[in-house]
Amino acid sequence: MAVEFKDYYEVLGVPRGASQDDIRRAYRKLAREYHPDLNRDSDAEERFKELGEAYEVLSDPNKRERYDRLGAQWQAQERAPGGGGDFEEFFDRKGFGDGVRFEFGDGDVSDFFSRLFGNGAGMRSSGPLRGLDREALLELSLEDAVAGGRRRLTVDDGRSIDANFPAGVRDGQLIRLAGQGAPGRDGGPPGDLYLRVRLKPHSTFRRQGDDLDVDLPVAPWEAALGATVPVPTLTGTARVKVPAGSSSGRRLRLRGRGLAKQGGGHGDLHAIVKITVPKHLSDEQQELFEKLAEVSDFDPRKGRS
Amino acid sequence: MNEELVELSVIARRAGIRVTLVRRYVEFGLLEPASRTSEEPLFAPSAASRLAKAERLRRDLGLNYAGAVLACELLDRIRALEDQAR
Repeated sequence: MAVEFKDYYEVLGVPRGASQDDIRRAYRKLAREYHPDLNRDSDAEERFKELGEAYEVLSDPNKRERYDRLGAQWQAQERAPGGGGDFEEFFDRKGFGDGVRFEFGDGDVSDFFSRLFGNGAGMRSSGPLRGLDREALLELSLEDAVAGGRRRLTVDDGRSIDANFPAGVRDGQLIRLAGQGAPGRDGGPPGDLYLRVRLKPHSTFRRQGDDLDVDLPVAPWEAALGATVPVPTLTGTARVKVPAGSSSGRRLRLRGRGLAKQGGGHGDLHAIVKITVPKHLSDEQQELFEKLAEVSDFDPRKGRS
Repeated sequence: MNEELVELSVIARRAGIRVTLVRRYVEFGLLEPASRTSEEPLFAPSAASRLAKAERLRRDLGLNYAGAVLACELLDRIRALEDQAR
């Protein structure tokens, strides 16, 4: 694997002749900017690690001297005719390996760092510590939230995972998956992964907290005479009794047919009566409606000026 | 989340740090025991990630304990405001 040269001065944004104070100041400022607990951009953590590595080298006079010496030689060779190649080849040719055998794959430092300072020359450690928590958005239809299931998700660090979620999750709920966050430092335990539930708007049901509203179209005679009609629910179909004399807007409650509530139980489903009139009438229907108009003394606008 | 409350030593293990360090953060007010009914104070399981966050900030940014606790509290406030704005 090619090991690329890393310009630690550029990482910290300081000139090559920067003093130790300049380097410390630059590091502290950038560390506050890119610390993964403060900056939620997905690339902040990578940037923060890079900063730590650059500071580790440049803040230590011995490491800085070695880095300056080898770095200058590597870059001079790259500019020379017929030069080039990667840092690893350079080391092999110049024999700067110092007899150290390298095993790449230490997650905390770059290959470049390991190559330069030897395997096991990790970062200054301050002891084990649990890793960062992660978060992923779990966007669900109302049906899925009621039923539960499994979903492929993108975590905020860019990973994809398959996560199971239980039946009856609520909007805004956080589901904790223990130990599925970022790995710990120096042998510390990993963080947790939180799934943040967001319920998507539904074409049929309108969500009001744990309750649901659904329109219930009824014919004028059903509304006037009363009827028992089917109404869709999240899990299928129920039947609801429309009492005689129901006007549009009447809310008919189906208890417990809403969404899961925090602490147990379910919200309600409200079927909202919506009187719907046929667009075309047959001659006979026309006649019957006219007759109804004649015999009725009902004034829906009574009391209005 | 209705998760069981846990002892300080469990929180320390889950955070990957020493019990004495957890006690120090409790003194600085980072964690409030969720219950004091038993002999030992009990904490919500989420206390472990809160502790780890404070300790990361303290170590990585050269803060003292009070500064790390303050940073955590401000981050909580920012988070709450962001959630409201969503």
